[in-house]
Amino acid sequence: MSAADSNLQDKIVAADSVCRRYGEGPAAVEALTDVTVQFARGRFAAIMGPSGSGKSTLMHILAGLDRPTSGTVTLDGTELTGLDDRRLTLLRRDRVGFIFQTFNLLPVLSAQENILLPLSIAGRKPEREWFDRLIDTIGIRDRLSHRPAELSGGQQQRVAVARALISRPAVVFADEPTGNLDSKASGDVLALLRQAVDDFSQTVVMVTHEAHAAGFADRLILLSDGRVAHDGDGSSVEAALERVKSGD
Amino acid sequence: MLDLLLRGFLQRKLRVILTAVAIALGVALMSGTYILTDTINSAFAGIFTIANKGHDVVVTPSQRLGSRVRSQVSPIDEAMLARVRSVPGVAEASGSIFEFAALLDTHGKRLTTGGAPAFVASVVPKRFESFSPVSGRLPAGAGEAAIDQFTAERTSLKLGRQIVVAGSAVARRYTIVGIVQYGGAQSFGGAAAAVLLLGEAQRVTGELGRYSQLDVAARSGVTPQALRARIRAVLPSTVEVRTGAQQAAKETTTLEENLSFLRTFLLIFAYVALFVGAFIIFNTFSITVAQRTREFGLLRTLGSSRRQILRSVLFEGALLGVGGAALGLLGGILLAPALDELFKSFGADLPTSGTVLHTRTIVVSLLVGLGVTLLASLLPARRATRVPPIAAMREGVELPRRRWLRWRPRVVPALARAVGALVAWRGITGRLARENAIRQPGRTMVTAAALTVGLALVAFVAVLADGTKATIDQAVSRSFAGNLIVESSQSGGREQGIPALIAPALRRVPGIATVTPIAFTVGRPRGSSENATITAVDPATFGQVYRIEWKQGSSATLQALEANGAIVSEGYAKSHRLKVGQTVTLLTPTERHVSLIVSGIVTDRTRLLGNMTISLALARAAFGQREDALDFVKYAPGVSNAQVQPVVDRVLAQGFPQAKSRTAAQFKQEEGEQINTLLALIYVLLALSVIVSLFGIVNTLVLSIYERTRELGMLRAIGTSRRQVRQMIRYESVITSLIGGVLGLVIGVVGAVLVTTFALSGSGFVQSIPLGTLAILLVVAALAGLLAAQLPARRAARLDLLQALAGE
Repeated sequence: MSAADSNLQDKIVAADSVCRRYGEGPAAVEALTDVTVQFARGRFAAIMGPSGSGKSTLMHILAGLDRPTSGTVTLDGTELTGLDDRRLTLLRRDRVGFIFQTFNLLPVLSAQENILLPLSIAGRKPEREWFDRLIDTIGIRDRLSHRPAELSGGQQQRVAVARALISRPAVVFADEPTGNLDSKASGDVLALLRQAVDDFSQTVVMVTHEAHAAGFADRLILLSDGRVAHDGDGSSVEAALERVKSGD
Repeated sequence: MLDLLLRGFLQRKLRVILTAVAIALGVALMSGTYILTDTINSAFAGIFTIANKGHDVVVTPSQRLGSRVRSQVSPIDEAMLARVRSVPGVAEASGSIFEFAALLDTHGKRLTTGGAPAFVASVVPKRFESFSPVSGRLPAGAGEAAIDQFTAERTSLKLGRQIVVAGSAVARRYTIVGIVQYGGAQSFGGAAAAVLLLGEAQRVTGELGRYSQLDVAARSGVTPQALRARIRAVLPSTVEVRTGAQQAAKETTTLEENLSFLRTFLLIFAYVALFVGAFIIFNTFSITVAQRTREFGLLRTLGSSRRQILRSVLFEGALLGVGGAALGLLGGILLAPALDELFKSFGADLPTSGTVLHTRTIVVSLLVGLGVTLLASLLPARRATRVPPIAAMREGVELPRRRWLRWRPRVVPALARAVGALVAWRGITGRLARENAIRQPGRTMVTAAALTVGLALVAFVAVLADGTKATIDQAVSRSFAGNLIVESSQSGGREQGIPALIAPALRRVPGIATVTPIAFTVGRPRGSSENATITAVDPATFGQVYRIEWKQGSSATLQALEANGAIVSEGYAKSHRLKVGQTVTLLTPTERHVSLIVSGIVTDRTRLLGNMTISLALARAAFGQREDALDFVKYAPGVSNAQVQPVVDRVLAQGFPQAKSRTAAQFKQEEGEQINTLLALIYVLLALSVIVSLFGIVNTLVLSIYERTRELGMLRAIGTSRRQVRQMIRYESVITSLIGGVLGLVIGVVGAVLVTTFALSGSGFVQSIPLGTLAILLVVAALAGLLAAQLPARRAARLDLLQALAGE
């Protein structure tokens, strides 16, 4: 399967000539330079790159957490560039799911309440069937009433995955989801993301610096100095990394 | 180390300011109180010094029963004046009048407002004259008067207009011929003064042939001290003889004593505010010490000793305390005039001139501010010293919990759940607010406790006041068997009597069956250092309008009062071991010794009857009681109020405009209003403590939000709107303030009920709980919480999403 799928209807997230500059004048730092990239529906994409390559910035801009200095971003048919804070918030609420490196569960809520949090915020009722299916998939049914402090790191991140999936968002963004986990737990979480893509046709965009993690993806985008250095098959991670490292 | 500290200080500007303000408000009230009372005292001292200029020796009635008690009949008469004049070395001696009286306009409206007093003074020989005309002249004819500048300006009375002077005799009209200053001051403490010719002043005050004071000038070559000694030798012990300087000092001291209650009253509220401030300092330091665990761990790793850590935290406290106190001192200078205005609006106008800032005020303010802050930061500072070096390496090293805090987690969640139910229906924001409030029960508790202190006092006072009103209502209904009560129209002025001439005048009104005068005086039992309060009644008629609850005795006992009998109140009899038949010897305000025989014992719920009740005739003869306090009026059977009260009011308006008549219902209502006025004043002063506690809530919220930055970032990322974030913070604040409010109300109400049950047992105090007021207080607490949340909520909503997610 080719990463550069030509069917434009299936582009769920697209960045067109995106630039992001921090600061003004000669001190300005360009984090992203003319990045054009698209993500297909129902695919698992990994964004990699060394520290400071702009991978997190790109994800933040794609998710509507940050605004590009120039260029446009379209998410599920909505152009983000012109949206005000209120509309961006609603968009994130309804169409975006997030998974963070530090889990970011609310310590005062139980696992179940954490999973349902996006729906609670939106004031919507959960679909029982979907919730049950999700719980069984991530396998924490017996821990639902526990608070995050009573869960292991892997369990917490699985709860976070469920939280990202509960509202069936157009796209889930995962920011270094395995960064704080041991290898066993990392494997579980990545398998779970893979399963979300395969079984639930969920679109996932993951930022990671672990080649192993990127191996779970369908597609790999490598950033270097704020530019796309490689865009290709997920299985070619090692080779791509080598290429980027050895010379531009 | 110091450098590090100062830099940290500047970085936490908002917290430092909020915390400093918490202490500054209490210090401001304290220094403001000192400044105000010092200013008042110095203003009066100035007045008294100028007023006593030219007086080498002054003769005044002695006040052996205390500075507030003097006979209504002056012991200084013509014979005494003659004797002083005959003393060698006296250049000139004259008598003068300076007495309380009511001053009114020709429509019967008082020239004074609120509780401010009014005086009648007489024109005296030029060398003794303290009044100086600013326009017009001093009176020269019987129908002329001069009034003080302050009153003239306030009431827009001009030369040529008329005023009414009502003293112990029938009121008279005088034409204003002069506007004067007293002792060079425009205002004499908000009091009004009218200057009349001596004879007129004596007549209107009922002191014909007598004087309030003798002023003496010495011949050149005779010192005031020497002259004082000579005069002292020829006068009886019923008068005091002082030099002019002594007299000014004495008047100033007396005034300071009388005003000291004001200082104490205000200082109580300042201490409450400081106490609340201490809570906030404690809480803020506890939170910041917890937040800086890693920093302290690092310092310890780098070789800081525990003592150094302790010192650095305490130094921060000291800096904050001095800063807050300095801020408070400045605030106090601004607050003093505001306090003056506050008292003015409650009817007490006090003279002030400039701002008197004694070194004592500065020292006390700084010391108290510093002391309170240091004390409050001591526990958190000790906690900081327990941070192990390892804390620098790991996140989330838990410090051992203090044992005495363990009970709190149980109270707070329970209360928060109950209170949180109010907001939980608002969905996830309400739910999260509740959970966040419970998260650190100790912190929430201390934050709420600051509010609890203020609200508990408010509730306590409210319950007490409501009970007092209910008690008066019940007592009046139970004991008063008449139709009208006549007393001075001066608000709160039962100390100001009414002329004894009113009773006979009212007896002539058709439809009135009984008029019984009642007077209040005091006497000092032999061997005691405290005065006994005495009520004087007319034994023949008192029983017809007042139901006495006898413990021992009967209506017949009342009749027997004529012959030096005394009825003693149950409480006084108990505490002084008095039995029926026993003899009590009293020193009276006229310096006479009177032996009374205890003839009965009564329970009195209205407190109309003092420690002892004697006959009015005896009070007139032996206690120098010229005026009455009240007249009770009873109608003949079948006569309606509408027929009689208007006639009574007409009689009063014509001859005695300082008095007014009230039915029992009107009386109860006006008593209630007076209590409400006092209550309002107390509320205003307690509001300061509540404001201080609001700063505490703001501070805690800001610090908590800072701790939860990453959580807030996540919430925003997954679609929580700014509005929802603000809502969440507001709910959390309301929950905290309601916890404080509920606890405060419970403590206040329970406290008041306990106090009234035990301390006032047997006094007939009627418990009454003002549910309406308490409900309003809860709403106020909730609104206060909302107000306190404004700034933190805005900060939380404005949080930069990406920075928040990045953490640290």
